[in-house]
Amino acid sequence: MKLIITDITDFHLPVEGPHKIISPQSDIRHCIGCFGCWIKTPGTCVIHDGYENTGADMGRCTELILVSRCCYGSVSPFVKTVQDRAISYIHPDFVIRKGEMHHKRRYRNVISLSAHFYGEDITEAEKKTARSIVEANADNYDAQVKEIHFYSSVNELEGLAL
Amino acid sequence: MKIALLNGSPKHRNSSSEILLTDLKRCLLETDTAETARRKPEILEAAFHDDRIAEETVSQLLTADVWVFSCPLYVDGLPGHLLSVLLQLEKNIGESGHTQVIYGIVNCGFYEGIQAKTALEILENWCAKTGFVWGGGIGVGGGGGLAMMAGPKPEKGPKAPIEKALRAMSGKMVRQETLENQYVSVAFPRFLYKMAAQMGWRQLFKKNGGRIRDL
Repeated sequence: MKLIITDITDFHLPVEGPHKIISPQSDIRHCIGCFGCWIKTPGTCVIHDGYENTGADMGRCTELILVSRCCYGSVSPFVKTVQDRAISYIHPDFVIRKGEMHHKRRYRNVISLSAHFYGEDITEAEKKTARSIVEANADNYDAQVKEIHFYSSVNELEGLAL
Repeated sequence: MKIALLNGSPKHRNSSSEILLTDLKRCLLETDTAETARRKPEILEAAFHDDRIAEETVSQLLTADVWVFSCPLYVDGLPGHLLSVLLQLEKNIGESGHTQVIYGIVNCGFYEGIQAKTALEILENWCAKTGFVWGGGIGVGGGGGLAMMAGPKPEKGPKAPIEKALRAMSGKMVRQETLENQYVSVAFPRFLYKMAAQMGWRQLFKKNGGRIRDL
């Protein structure tokens, strides 16, 4: 399954194969740092607003595709909040990977991670940061980076098939 | 001069971000300002625990010469709610011409402070977009243990490297000078930090009625 997390409410890009799209269909509450998704209900966020199962969805996907406005080199607040609320994809225990501390994997799937950033005035510094973040995400998810692309506007995404 | 200490943790109390700002505040008030204003800096404290910022807070912040954001590292970046606040600030502060110098302190649960590099870059990129001056930051590793590491002599013990970095930053802040990003970790062996954290998770899980095999 492909899991697409996007801040585009009316997301209609063609997607090949089985997939799930997480987009702003309703208000999302931000992560409160309670770690309940690890120490109360492992695998599920304790905030029940329709976005509590993203960690488990990630555990079922083969590809994770982020389609987001680029905000200072980061994904947008919506996409980031979905990611923040999905840390239950990984286990609270630590492992040392590439010489650094990361979290142990909870699921067996190895995610192929792609990111499509759009925005009118994405600077070179922001692109560099965005690439670093996607690579760091892959390290933390114990995933592989598939592709990272930048688009000068949301309209430029038209024609993209995921 | 006025320095705004901005807590970007979603937690309302007992966060590592708050602990670091409290330590920074102490360093600032102890800093010898004789070379500069010959008086202690005035401290303004504000918190961004959710994704909205009040207009009056923006107005207050614009009266400060220096801002310092302190927040946790969330998934290799800033927490989503804080990104939202930064976007609102960019929208509300108007055109360039601002002279504030912005610093950042990002703490992570991982041992290596360098893992906060990307989050500090986001703050730096935000400064470039808004016209603020990026003053530099500290990436703090081992942030998850700070609450347990309080002691009467912060310059000694596990928090010593953090104290040293905060003192260097406070010295620059009162002069509104920039510094290279610093990346520090608690002075505590990594394997012990890892072990202690994992024991902590198990204790909390059991306290919540969980069975260890379900963690």
